[in-house]
Amino acid sequence: MQLWLIPVFPLAGFLLNGIFGRRFSKAIINSIAIGSVLLSFAWVLKTLLALGELNAPHAEHYFTWIQSGTFSVGFDFAVDRLTAVMLLVVTGIGSLIHIYAIGYMAHEEGYYRFFAYMNLFMFFMLTLVLGANYLVLFVGWEGVGLCSYLLIGFYFTKKFATDAGNKAFIVNRIGDFGFSLAMFLIVVNFGSLDFSTVFQAVPGKSEAALTAIAFLLLLGACGKSAQLPLYVWLPDAMAGPTPVSALIHAATMVTAGVYMVARSSAIYTHAPAAMEAVAIIGLLTAFFAATIGVLQNDIKKVFAYSTVSQLGYMFLGAGVGAFSAGIYHLVTHAFFKALLFLGAGSLIHALGGEQDVRNMGGLRSKIPWTFATMVCAGVAIAGVPPFAGFYSKDAILLAADRHAPWMYWVGVITAGMTAFYVFRAIFLAFFGRYRGEAHPHESPWVMLGPLVVLAALSLAGGKLFNVPEFLAPLFPLAEEGHDIGPMLVSVAFGLGGIALAYLFYVARPGLPDALAASFSGLYKLVYNKYFVDEIYAAVVVDPVVSGSREVLWKGMDVAVIDGAVNGVGNRSQRLGGLLKRLQSGSIRSYAVWVLLGSVLLLLAMGVAGGLR
Amino acid sequence: MPVNFAPAGVEYLRFLPEIILIAAGTLLMVLDVILRERFRNAYGHISIAALLAAMAASVMAYSSPGPAFSDMLLVDGFATFFRVLVIGVGILTVLPSYRFLRREGAETGEYHALLLFSIAGQCVMVSANELIMIFIGLEISSISSYVLAGYLRDDKRANEAALKYFLLGSFATAFFLYGVAIVYGLTGSTYLNAIRTVLSGGPTAPGPVFIGVAAALMFVGLGFKVSAAPFQIWAPDVYQGAPTPVSAFLTTGPKAAAFAVFLRIFMTAFQPIGGDWAPLVWGSALLSMTIGNFAALTQSNIKRLLGYSSIAHAGYLLVALAARSQVGAAAAMFYLAAYALMNIGAFAVVSHLSGKGERFLSVDDFAGLGVKQPGTAALLTIFLLSLIGVPLTGGFFGKFYIFKAALDSHLVWLTVLGLLNSAVAAYYYLRILVVMYMHEPSEATAELEPLSAGLRAALVIPALGTLFLGIFPAWVLDFAGKSSALVK
Amino acid sequence: MNPLDLVLAVPLVGFLGLLFVPRAAEGAIRTVALIFSLVAFLASLGLALGYHTDFAGEQWFTDVTWIASPNIHYHVGLDGLSLWLVILTTFLTPVCILISWNSIQSRVKEFFALMLLLEFGLAGVFAAQDLFLFYVFWEVSLVPMYFLIGIWGHDRRIYAALKFFLYTFAASVLMLTAIIYVYNRAGTFNYSDILAMLASGKVSFTGTEQLALFLAFFVAFAVKVPLFPLHTWLPDAHVEAPTAGSVMLASVMLKMGTYGLARFCLPMFPGAARLCAPWIVVLAIIGIIYGALVAMVQPNMKKLVAYSSVSHLGFVVLGIFSFTQLGMDGAVYQMLNHGISTGALFVLVGFLYDRRHSLAIADFGGVATPAPWLSTVFMITMLASIGLPTLNNFIGEYLVLQGSAQANFHWTIFAAIGVILSACYMLWLYQRVFFGETPDEVRDHVFDLKPREWAVAVPLVAMMVWMGMYSQSFLPVVSKTTAHILDQTQVNVQFRVRADICPTSLPSVQQAGGAGASACQPMLSNLLNVQSPNRAATVRERSPEVAHAR
Repeated sequence: MQLWLIPVFPLAGFLLNGIFGRRFSKAIINSIAIGSVLLSFAWVLKTLLALGELNAPHAEHYFTWIQSGTFSVGFDFAVDRLTAVMLLVVTGIGSLIHIYAIGYMAHEEGYYRFFAYMNLFMFFMLTLVLGANYLVLFVGWEGVGLCSYLLIGFYFTKKFATDAGNKAFIVNRIGDFGFSLAMFLIVVNFGSLDFSTVFQAVPGKSEAALTAIAFLLLLGACGKSAQLPLYVWLPDAMAGPTPVSALIHAATMVTAGVYMVARSSAIYTHAPAAMEAVAIIGLLTAFFAATIGVLQNDIKKVFAYSTVSQLGYMFLGAGVGAFSAGIYHLVTHAFFKALLFLGAGSLIHALGGEQDVRNMGGLRSKIPWTFATMVCAGVAIAGVPPFAGFYSKDAILLAADRHAPWMYWVGVITAGMTAFYVFRAIFLAFFGRYRGEAHPHESPWVMLGPLVVLAALSLAGGKLFNVPEFLAPLFPLAEEGHDIGPMLVSVAFGLGGIALAYLFYVARPGLPDALAASFSGLYKLVYNKYFVDEIYAAVVVDPVVSGSREVLWKGMDVAVIDGAVNGVGNRSQRLGGLLKRLQSGSIRSYAVWVLLGSVLLLLAMGVAGGLR
Repeated sequence: MPVNFAPAGVEYLRFLPEIILIAAGTLLMVLDVILRERFRNAYGHISIAALLAAMAASVMAYSSPGPAFSDMLLVDGFATFFRVLVIGVGILTVLPSYRFLRREGAETGEYHALLLFSIAGQCVMVSANELIMIFIGLEISSISSYVLAGYLRDDKRANEAALKYFLLGSFATAFFLYGVAIVYGLTGSTYLNAIRTVLSGGPTAPGPVFIGVAAALMFVGLGFKVSAAPFQIWAPDVYQGAPTPVSAFLTTGPKAAAFAVFLRIFMTAFQPIGGDWAPLVWGSALLSMTIGNFAALTQSNIKRLLGYSSIAHAGYLLVALAARSQVGAAAAMFYLAAYALMNIGAFAVVSHLSGKGERFLSVDDFAGLGVKQPGTAALLTIFLLSLIGVPLTGGFFGKFYIFKAALDSHLVWLTVLGLLNSAVAAYYYLRILVVMYMHEPSEATAELEPLSAGLRAALVIPALGTLFLGIFPAWVLDFAGKSSALVK
Repeated sequence: MNPLDLVLAVPLVGFLGLLFVPRAAEGAIRTVALIFSLVAFLASLGLALGYHTDFAGEQWFTDVTWIASPNIHYHVGLDGLSLWLVILTTFLTPVCILISWNSIQSRVKEFFALMLLLEFGLAGVFAAQDLFLFYVFWEVSLVPMYFLIGIWGHDRRIYAALKFFLYTFAASVLMLTAIIYVYNRAGTFNYSDILAMLASGKVSFTGTEQLALFLAFFVAFAVKVPLFPLHTWLPDAHVEAPTAGSVMLASVMLKMGTYGLARFCLPMFPGAARLCAPWIVVLAIIGIIYGALVAMVQPNMKKLVAYSSVSHLGFVVLGIFSFTQLGMDGAVYQMLNHGISTGALFVLVGFLYDRRHSLAIADFGGVATPAPWLSTVFMITMLASIGLPTLNNFIGEYLVLQGSAQANFHWTIFAAIGVILSACYMLWLYQRVFFGETPDEVRDHVFDLKPREWAVAVPLVAMMVWMGMYSQSFLPVVSKTTAHILDQTQVNVQFRVRADICPTSLPSVQQAGGAGASACQPMLSNLLNVQSPNRAATVRERSPEVAHAR
C-alpha cells in the first residue's frame, strides 16, 4: 500500500526547495511545495479508499531501526480509523493553508525557506500520525517540534521571534522528558514499543506501572498541546507567520497531544487516576486560558489563548472517557480555528501588519469576504447550532456531565467566555468606525479561496463528518440517552456570550473601561496573563542560569576543583623551595648532614640487628 | 684463599682493559709535555682509540671469564657489562670535550689522562671481587674525578665544586673503609663470597649488631658515591659547578660503577642479612626520589636541575636494590645503561648551548631551540621523554623493569610512590620542552653555532641507543638477566 | 599483510616520511599527510567490509613476540568494541588535515607529522590486545597531543598543555602499576589469555586486590573520559588547542577512557565494577547535569562544546555501568555519535574562528545572513548533538537511557534531565551566534562555506543521518561484543566475587538496587540475556582461522 509515500512526498518537496530553492523562481517553489502536499493528500484518499472499512489496522514494516539484544524497534507505519481521521485533517487543512500561504508570504524574505520548512513539518506530522510504535511517533513528535521552532523563528533577525522559538522548543523538551521516560517504562514493563503488542498486554499489568506511564505520557502531551502548566510557549509562538499559526499552532501539531492520549486510550482506561488528571488539567486549562483571552488586544494572541482553551476541551473529552468526542472537537476545531487564524492573517494583510484590535474597526464593508468567513468561524466556535463547533463541544460537555456535573458547569461557563472573546475580537475589528490609518484592501483570491472552503467546513463540517460514529470501533459510544437540557444550557451560554460582546463593543462601547476601572486589581492580573511568564522566569530560569554561572562554574569548577589541582602544584613548588634551602652551599653544614645521616643509618642498622 | 704468586697469562688478559687505560693515560701525560699546540686534537683521538681498545679488550676478556690475580678480580658477565658501560660513557664524554676544551682554551693531555685513570678505576671497581680491591678502584676513580671537577683552574664555581667533592668524598670513603675494617674483623676475610659464607653460617655467624653497623658504614660510602639521600647533599653543587662534560661523566660513569659495587656487595656478601638493610634501602630510595624530584621543580639552572634529577634516578635504582632479587639487579643494570645514554645526551646538548664560559645555563636559554636547530631539539626531546619515562624510550623500559621487580618482591607502596614521583618529574622535564618549542628564540639560541662532528656523534649515538633500548630492550635485558646471578 | 597492520603502519610510515620532506615544501607536506591519512582510511574500510559479524571475538589479529621476557607481544586485533573506533580515528584524521590546511601556517612540517603520529597512537590504543602494548600506545598518543596543544594553541596553550599531560600521565602511572601487578599474577600481558585464566579461576584476586586494581585502572580512564570531578583539564585543553587538536581530542581521545572502562575494567574486575557501579553512575549523572549547566553559561564557544562533551560522555559511562545489553550498546554507539557530532561542532566552530578570529560568542551574531549554508550545517550538527530523532545521537542516548532504566529507573530520571538541558545551551548558543541582526564586523569577515570546507562538512552530515536512520549498519557488530563482555562479567562474578566482594550486607549496594546489588542475583542473568559462559574461550580458538581465512 506504500504508506511511506504519504510523508515522503512533502519530504521530497522539502529537500528540493531546501537545497535548490534559492535558485528557483516562485512559480517552481509553489508547484513543488503545494504539489507535494496535494500529492500526499491524494495518496491519503487513494489509500483510504483502497483500505475500505479499515476495521482492523493496516500495518507496514519498512526496516529495523534500532536493535539491541532481544529488544528491537522497527520503522513501521500503520493506519486505523483514528489515523485516517488525522491523515485527512493534516493533509486536507495542510493543503488549504499551503495555498493560502502563497498569497500571504508573497512579499516575504526567504520565501523558499518558508515552504521548505512547511513541507518538512508535513513530513514529520504525517510520520507522527502514521507511526506504528511509540518511537516512530516520537520521531514525528520531536520533528514537528523542530519545525515549529524553525517557523516561529522564521524572522530570525527579530530577537522576540527567536526567543519564542527557543521557548517553544525547550518547553516542549520538558514535555518530551516525560514522554521518553514513559517509553522507557513501557519497554521495561512490556518489552516492546509497538502499539499492538503493548495495548494487548495492558490488561495484565499492574495499575501502578500503568498509572506512572500514563502520567508521564500526559506530561508529554501537556508540552505539545500547551496545557497547564506548560502552555506558556504557545501564545509567544504567534511570532511566526500567520499561516504557521493556523497550521501548526491551531489545526495540527498542538493537537498531537490529544491524538497521543487517544492513541494510548488502552493504557489510560486502565489508569483511572491518570484519566482524572487528564480531565482536570484539560478543564482548568480551558477555563484559565479563556479568562486570559477575554482581555487580549493582539488578535492573534486572542486566538492563541482560545486555542489553548479549546485544546483543554479536547483533553476534558479524553479525560472523561469520550475519546471520540475529543477527536471530534479536534477535527471541527481544525476547521474553525484554522479559519480564524487565516482570517486574522487576511485582516493583518489588509492592514499592512496591524495586529491590535484597538487600531481596527469598521472593516466589514472594506474586506467583506474576510468578515463573512470569520463570522462563520465565530459562530462555529461559539457552539451555535447547527454549526461545526456545536456538535463536538456538545458531545464533550455531555460526557463531562455524565462524569461529574461540576466539570460540565465549568465547561459551560468557559464556552460562554469563548463566545464572548471571539466576538469581542470580531466586533472590535469589523464594527464601529475604523481607528487605524492604513488603507485596508481585500486579500487576493488565492487567500480567500481557502477561507471560503474552511468557512463551509466550519458551518457544515460538524454534521457532515460524524467522527464519533466513525471511530466507534475504536472508542465505543456511550449509550444514546441524549437529554436535551445540558445542550440547551450550553447553547444559551454561547449565545449569551455573543450578546454580551455585542453589548460591550457595539452597543455600549464605554462599558468595558468602566468595568475595568471598577475591578482594576483583577483586571491588571488577568490583563498581564496572571504574570505566569514572570513567575517562571523568577523561580526557574534565573536561578538556574545564575546558579550555574556563579556556583557551579566559577565556584565549583574554577575555584574548588581547579583550585585544588593548582594547589597541589603550588604545594610541590613550595616543598621544592624548602628542599632547595637545605643547599646552604657551606661545606661545614654539608659535612654535618652526611654525619647525621650516617648516625641515623648506624642506629637503624644497629637496632635492626639487635632486634634479630 | 690459595695465593699463587705467578699469575697465568689469561689473568693478564682479564685485566687487559685496565692495563690499556692506564698505559694510554700515562702516555698522554708524557705527550702533554712534548706535543705542540697544533696537535692538541691528538689527545682526544688517542684517548678515544684507547677507550675503543679497552672496550674490545673487555669483550675479549669475557671470552674467557673467570677470576684473576688470586681471585681479587672476577671477570664475569656482570663485570663485563659495567666495563663496557663505563668505557662507553668515557667515549661519549670525550666526543663533546673536543669542542668544549677548545672553547675554554684548555686542551691538555691531563684532562684526558685523568678521564682514562678514572675509568680504569671504575673498571677495577666493577670487576673487583674483594673489598680492598674495590676500595682501591673506588679511590682511583674518585681522586681523578675530584681533579676533573676542578679542571678549569680559573673557574671559581669549578674550584668550589672540586673542593666540596673532594672533602665530602674522602669523608665518605673513610666510612666505607671503616666498614671494610669491621667486616674483616668480624669475618676474617675481605672476599665477598667468603664473607657471605661466614654470615650465612648459622651459629658461628658474628653478632648481627656489628655486622649491621659495618653494612651501614659501607652504605654511607657507596650512598655518597651514587648521590642517594641522605648523602645527596653535595651532588647539585658539584654537578652544577663542574665543567659540563665532566658533570655528564660524573652523573653516569662513577655512578654506574658505584652501583655495580653496591649490587655486588649487598647482593652477595650481605645477602644473608638482607632483611636488615632492606628497610634502609627502601627509605633511602623514597627519600632520594622525593628530594630529587621536588627540589628539581623549582630549579632554573639546567645543570643543577639535571643534578637533582640524577638524585631522583639514584632513588629509582635503589628501588631495584630494595627488591633484593636477581630480576632487580638486572633491572638496575638495564636502567644504568639507559640512564647513562639519556643523561649524557642531555648534558651534551647543554654544553653545546652553554657557549664560552658556560654563560647560558638557565632553562630559559633553551627558548626557541625548536625553531633554530630542530635537529638538536628533536634529539633533546628524545632524551627528555626518556627521562620522563615515555614508552619506546630506554628510560621507560628501565622504570618498567625496576618497578616490575619491586612488585615481584611485593613492594607495592614503594612502586606506587615511585611512579607518582615520576609523574612529578614529568613536570620539570616538560618545562624544558615547553621553553624549547613554545617560546620565542633567546639570546643563546639566536647566536648558536652548528653542531660540531664530535657533538653530533655525542648526540646521535645516545639518541639511537635510547630508542634502541626502548624498542628492542630484549638484547641488553637478556644479557643483564644472565649476568645478574651474582651469588656463584 | 593484514589490513589492521596496514592501518597502523601507514600513519607511522607517513610520520617518519614527513621528517625527511624539506620543511620549506609546505604544499608537499600537506599533500603527503593527506594522502597517507586517506590510504589509512581506505585500509580501515577494508576492516569493516571483511569483518565477520557472526561472532564476538577478536578478528584481524596479528600476534608476534616483541620482547621474550617479560613476555610482551605486538598483539593487535579488533572486535565489535574497537572496530568502529579505529575507523572513526582514520575517518577523522583526513578531516583534521583538511581543516588545518590553511589555518596552520607555522611549523607546518611538525604539525602534520604529529597528526599522523597521533593517528598511529590512537588507532593503536583501540587495536592493542596486549596490556603492555595498550599502555605503550596510550602514552604514545599523549605526546603528539601535548605538542599540538602547546605549539599551535591559543594564548594559554602552555598551561593547558601541561595540565593535560600531567593530569593524564599521573593517572596512567597508576594504571601501569596495576598492569604490572596483573602481569606478575598471570605471567602474561596477553589480554585474552588473562581473561581466560580469570574465567577458569587459574588466576584470581581477593576482594581488596580486585577493588584496588579496578580503581587503579578506573582513575586512569576516568581522567580521560573525563568523569566529574576529574574533568577540569578538558575545557582548558579544548579552548587552547587548535581546531584539529580539539577535534581529535573530543572525538577520539576521550573515547580512550570509555573504551578502557568497557574493555578492561568490566571483564577483568567485574565484582569491583559492580560494587562501585552505583557510585560511578552517580558521578556520571552529576557529570551529565553539571556539564550541561556549566556549558549553558560559557561565554566561549569552544568551552561550551567542551563542557557539553563532559555531559555527553556521562551518558556513555552511565550506559557502561548499567550492566545491560542496551546500555552497553548505547554507550558504544554514543562514543561513535559523539565522535561525529561533537567533532563536527568543533570543526564548525573552527570555521567560524578562521573567519572572525574569535571564539567569544559575543563577537558573533546574525551569521545566518552572510553564511546560510554554514548555518544550516551547524543547525543539523546541533540537532544531532541534542539528540533529535533521525540523527545519530538520539539512538545512542535512547539505548543508554533505556538500559539504565532496566537497571535502575531513578538513574534514568536524573540522566534524562540532561536531554532537556542540552537543548537549552545549544539553542541559546545558536540563537546568539547565527540569529539576530548582523553586526558589520561579522558581515565583513564571515563568508559561506568554501569547497574544501564542503568536502569536510558533507561526509560528517552524511554520517549523522546514516547513523541516525540506519543503525543496523553498525550496531549488530557492537551488540555481539557487548553481549560477550557482559557474559564475562557474569562468568567471573560467579567465580570469586560473590564470596568475598559482594556480601549482601553492603548497604550501599543494597539501596542502590539495580546493577550494584544485582551482582549477586541470578535473576540478573536473564535480564542480561546471558549466553553460554564458555563462549569467552571458544571465540579465542575460532579467531585464528578467521584471520587466516583472508
